[in-house]
Amino acid sequence: MDQSPETFRAVVERHQARVYSIALRILGDSGVAEEVAQDVFLELYRAMPRLDGESHVTAWLRRVACHRATDALRRRAARGDGAAEEYQDGMALRPVVREFLPLMNRVEQLLLTLPPPQREVMVLRYQEDLEPEDIALELKMPLATVRSYLQRAVKMLRAKAERTLKEYSRG
Amino acid sequence: MVEPRDDFEQELRQQLQARPAPEGFADRVMARVPKRPARSGWVGFRTPVWQWAVAALLVLGMVVGGLERERQQRIEGERARDQVLLALRIAGSTLRDVQDKVNAGASQQKLSQKGAGRAVLDRDQ
Repeated sequence: MDQSPETFRAVVERHQARVYSIALRILGDSGVAEEVAQDVFLELYRAMPRLDGESHVTAWLRRVACHRATDALRRRAARGDGAAEEYQDGMALRPVVREFLPLMNRVEQLLLTLPPPQREVMVLRYQEDLEPEDIALELKMPLATVRSYLQRAVKMLRAKAERTLKEYSRG
Repeated sequence: MVEPRDDFEQELRQQLQARPAPEGFADRVMARVPKRPARSGWVGFRTPVWQWAVAALLVLGMVVGGLERERQQRIEGERARDQVLLALRIAGSTLRDVQDKVNAGASQQKLSQKGAGRAVLDRDQ
């Protein structure tokens, strides 16, 4: 693919929402999500001569965005920011995530209570509208694992959503 | 299984649509893209073909230089060997001359000793 600034800018503009949203929904922090999304596009710039066609670029961006966001999450957990605990209990979100909650919708907030691998498959399934077979291919994960993650994540989110709704209706 | 698409899944799909990136995101990405070198008289020299040609010339120069130095060393070696052989030949012929002179001196001395002995015998008789 052509590496000219004009072509690259067009690619960034076409895919920025996708990449930023994947990073945001895995990380739950808009600042870090933007940083990760920028890094993903710079990596894409270097990889462009090896990529051919729009579908190749899209698949590449999805895969790399997921991996880089997960890496950032791991780094944050290693620094002891408490990210590892945030999904133990749906309501126990760490302070930095809570800070961004007003910017996020209810489903996005609940998504952050899932373990990171489940977040990845949920984002690819419901944001990117990919079939489980395609998610398995893109994340190089066994299909059975993808199905199991999706099943567990949807069940967990449904239970949390119902609980929240009951709490809300009780006043 | 997650196959049946119920209301909850529809809700998920709707709520998880891609969000727009922050304002100015593309500009910030473009600002981080490494700049290509400015066009100048040297730009042609920076092309890979030129770089390969210069590298090839350097390697060729080193090979030719190495071969030439080896040839010079061989010539110098041969010259030194010839000089040593010449010196040995000269030394050999000088030694032969000296030996001949020594041999000639020795045989003359024997003859003169024999002559002297016979004279003594004749006188005694």
